[in-house]
Amino acid sequence: MTLEGWVPKLGEYLALAEVIDLAFDYRGNTTVVKVDGSEVEGYIFNRNRHVPEPFIQMFDLAGERPLKILYSEIQNIKFTGKDMAAGNSWIAWLERKEKEAAEKAPRRDKGME
Amino acid sequence: MSVPASQMWAVASYVIKQKLRGRKRYPLVLMLEPLFRCNLTCAGCGKIQYPAQILRKQLSVEACLKAVDECGAPIVSIPGGEPLMYPQIGELVDALVKRKKYVYLCTNALLLKEELEAGVFKPSKYLSFSIHMDGLRADHDEAVCRDGVYDTAVEGIREALRRGFRVTTNTTLFDGANPLRMREFFDEMMTLGVEGMMVSPGYSYSKAPDQEHFLRRSKTHGLFSAMLSNPKKQWKFNQSPLFLQFLMGKHDYECTPWGNPTFNLFGWQRPCYLLQEGYAESFQDLMENTRWENYGRKSGNEKCLDCMVHCGFEATAVDQTFSSWQGFRDTVVATLTGKL
Repeated sequence: MTLEGWVPKLGEYLALAEVIDLAFDYRGNTTVVKVDGSEVEGYIFNRNRHVPEPFIQMFDLAGERPLKILYSEIQNIKFTGKDMAAGNSWIAWLERKEKEAAEKAPRRDKGME
Repeated sequence: MSVPASQMWAVASYVIKQKLRGRKRYPLVLMLEPLFRCNLTCAGCGKIQYPAQILRKQLSVEACLKAVDECGAPIVSIPGGEPLMYPQIGELVDALVKRKKYVYLCTNALLLKEELEAGVFKPSKYLSFSIHMDGLRADHDEAVCRDGVYDTAVEGIREALRRGFRVTTNTTLFDGANPLRMREFFDEMMTLGVEGMMVSPGYSYSKAPDQEHFLRRSKTHGLFSAMLSNPKKQWKFNQSPLFLQFLMGKHDYECTPWGNPTFNLFGWQRPCYLLQEGYAESFQDLMENTRWENYGRKSGNEKCLDCMVHCGFEATAVDQTFSSWQGFRDTVVATLTGKL
């Protein structure tokens, strides 16, 4: 399951802190919507809510230097980027191997005829 | 066991100094990740799934050395990503060797021969290439999801040995590993002439593509007992014998999550090499402000319950060697006799 494309609806059943936790755990870019209406797109790599002023840290798309944004400045976070952990490369690899083996099998049969 | 005497002495004197100073928590191995880029996408790896702007980034040599000095551990392990894709890897290793740090450069060896031929590295007792080898040809190629990687790695190992480098192997085992084939693999590595082997069960990274094949604790004991209970004399392991006995179920250790602190693009990773629950800005912040009581088996943290990985337990095993006469005696006996 991936959160890719999700735009959380914050309210009684979903708090901003939960969304921030999910965004921190998300291996893709997100878009942080700030309370002033501006947006920052990038990768959230850190969050700390055990300090007097809880914050997140992120690299924007240029990846130049980490930005620090306070929880109090955030209105919402949209899961806009591709989820890089959502792939199934191991399964895809196994399927490719099986396909290769299946392709080889008839050739062997033909050779034995 | 195959850890060279000078390295054993460096580690022993370091641990004894920490104990004499009364340090309750001290690092043993710094895990230094200068980049997350890799030229493989292995099934069990949860380290490299990042967006492009993160994969393009890398630490500067200065940032790496600052972390090494801050941490003070006698051993520096350089995983990643693939460290041979780090453009300043030669410069970084040189600087670490000058600092008399024992360096384990953890590589899949796809670029090793090329880098050796380009003269990027100089042989040193402080530098060991730790080659990722997850078993014999078919098993390894399956684990790394690409055919031909085993053969390339073997070529790299031969070239490194021919040029006088220290070479070890590191092997991660998952559910379904065959103990008999692993014993053949140990024979094969020893025949190749590597200095020693490192083995560890894998960790169930939540971001790894293959989620089905991570070992549970009882299966780990069974697998490692079947592989190691009658070790051949020629097998050499480049790790604490007490850790291997722990994997076999002969000791019940608790994790030492601060034993292998991790520094990467994001800072000092909390709490350990495997779990990513946030980042500290300094090593001191990591050590002093991480809620260590929330980790390890006794904590009840479900992410820690089945973990028996070297980065949490090898430091415990080393500490055991210097904490009691029994630990010291067990280590000496296993080292001298090769029996586990």
